[in-house]
Amino acid sequence: MAGPSATAKGDRPDLLTAAIFIGLGALGLFLARGLDFGTPSMMGPAFLPRIVSVLLIAIGAVVGLSALGRPAVAIEAVRLRPVIVITLSIVVFAYAATHLGFVIASFWLIIAGSLADPGGRWWHTLALAAGLTIFGALVFVYGLGVQVPLWPF
Amino acid sequence: MSFFDLLLMGFSEAMTWQNLSFCLLGALLGTLIGVLPGIGPTATIAVLLPITFYLPPLAGIIMLAGIYYGAQYGGSTTAILVNLPGEASAVVTALDGYQMAQQGRAGAALAVAALGSFFAGTVATFAIAIAGPMLSQFALNFGPAEYVSLMVFGLLAATILASGPVLKAVGMILIGLLLGMVGTDQETGAERLTFGALELFDGIDFVVIAIGLFGFSEIIANLERSGSDNVKLAPVTRLWPTKDDFRRSWGAVLRGTGIGTLLGLLPGGGATLASFSAYSLEKKVSKHPQKFGTGVVEGVAAPEAANNAAAQSSFIPLLTLGIPSNNMMAMMLSAFMIHGITPGPTVLTNQPEIFWGLVASMWIGNALLVLINLPMVGLWVKLLTIPYRLLYPAILLFCCIGVYSMNNRIFDVMLAAGFGLLGYAFRKAKCEPGPLLLGFVLGPLLEANIRRTLLIEQGDPGIFVERPISLVMLSATVVLLALMILPSFRKTREEAFQEEES
Repeated sequence: MAGPSATAKGDRPDLLTAAIFIGLGALGLFLARGLDFGTPSMMGPAFLPRIVSVLLIAIGAVVGLSALGRPAVAIEAVRLRPVIVITLSIVVFAYAATHLGFVIASFWLIIAGSLADPGGRWWHTLALAAGLTIFGALVFVYGLGVQVPLWPF
Repeated sequence: MSFFDLLLMGFSEAMTWQNLSFCLLGALLGTLIGVLPGIGPTATIAVLLPITFYLPPLAGIIMLAGIYYGAQYGGSTTAILVNLPGEASAVVTALDGYQMAQQGRAGAALAVAALGSFFAGTVATFAIAIAGPMLSQFALNFGPAEYVSLMVFGLLAATILASGPVLKAVGMILIGLLLGMVGTDQETGAERLTFGALELFDGIDFVVIAIGLFGFSEIIANLERSGSDNVKLAPVTRLWPTKDDFRRSWGAVLRGTGIGTLLGLLPGGGATLASFSAYSLEKKVSKHPQKFGTGVVEGVAAPEAANNAAAQSSFIPLLTLGIPSNNMMAMMLSAFMIHGITPGPTVLTNQPEIFWGLVASMWIGNALLVLINLPMVGLWVKLLTIPYRLLYPAILLFCCIGVYSMNNRIFDVMLAAGFGLLGYAFRKAKCEPGPLLLGFVLGPLLEANIRRTLLIEQGDPGIFVERPISLVMLSATVVLLALMILPSFRKTREEAFQEEES
């Protein structure tokens, strides 16, 4: 794959598509490697996974090859802040909900998640966190009976 | 029981205070998210899916259906008043609707949209009530071979009618199929594609994928794009349309309803496709096509009738054949599955109250939506002034609780976050995640039916072309594929030739 400055060819979103398709197809083949393929009348567990993976790789190759010949199209700029902040706040929420209870987890999620789009007033965020935590506790934990502790103790 | 008795039974089911209140709740939520541009019905239903587990089956399904068609009403409100289509299906409504609002006729546009939608919803409800029993009678004769062909046809047709390049959509379906195979193989008991993770032995939950791909990655994508803060509201004036508006729009509503009901039936069809088609049809039959885009009432009436009709008629393939035709219906399928109901021809015979209750609730929901939308339009529009900054933490929290509540596992939330990242990559690669969901829900069904067919036929695939229904469906698939691949094939070749010349 040529770098963006070397040539004016290559539809980058399609090349990324090809990479995802081929990568996932290869992963499918790799994970199904030890499984029995079987015969059409007695399909083994690997029968369809392997066929689907090969098709996926083939389609990825076609998309990628035709993208190489097309004029260059850039991928939309990536802003890492929302990606990282949102993902991290979700992951920590999961641990916090199990070990520290819903109230702390919910406060964390809303305050940390709000950092993805800075510039708001801090007391807005705090009020939002309090309001949503109370709402969540009432509706989900009490109302619907979601099995999650409210407090760490 | 006669048709009338069945419909009456449906109404008595839908009129219980519980079902009625969930119908109202669904319609309210649908309008709400239809108005708010940052969140669509797919993400909302993904969030609410786990909650329906705590409700009786019919109540949950009524609520989710209400969100889907309610969003069509809400989406048009913002399209007309602020030129900001809340949903993709309202994009064409904005063309003429916003112009009407600029000319001080916002009220008339809103009323025509709501009344046209109500009429279309009523017709589509009857279409379901009439076509449902007929189609499911037909589907009862289907063997596994027919189901395989039907699913292959449905999946491929869905990629062709959906927006974007066909090959990418086919690839997304394949990824969906692959994800659907994760877990223990139903026939052999072997565990597949699990990385040895115990949590994956039962497969991946639909909700995890849906919330990851549509909830989380939508939030991230919205945060990347800033702006749309300055919303200018057109004043709402006299609500009732003039006599002239009525005279000019009734034909458009009829045509929109017809085209919407038909397009909703097709795999990959649905509200968005229907509204675009209805608008262009209206332009073709109009005596003054050049006026479209300057605020003609037909340009609002037709797409609004069409998107509502299609939103409802797309339930027909799901309820009668058990085959979802778009990603919204994939959501509905899993809502049925949560309660152990497999949608398909047997539901009508074994649990008629579910089918008829849902049909009746759709009509009630449409009537409620007119009441919710017209007199309260000012209130809904005020919601537009809520900044996304205050909105997305709430969506984030509901998404997280939704995933967590499935199994109370950290693992599911982490996996959903992972799918959020994958969905983000899909967005950057300009891949629509919708077909992936279709592949995911149909994957296990497809595999089981292929297995069954080939087991009976001892590995001979000839059965797929020997059975007439199956043959018709496979031929249709081949024709569709040829139609789609040939022109694009030619186009790429032309491009290659041009480059060689230059």
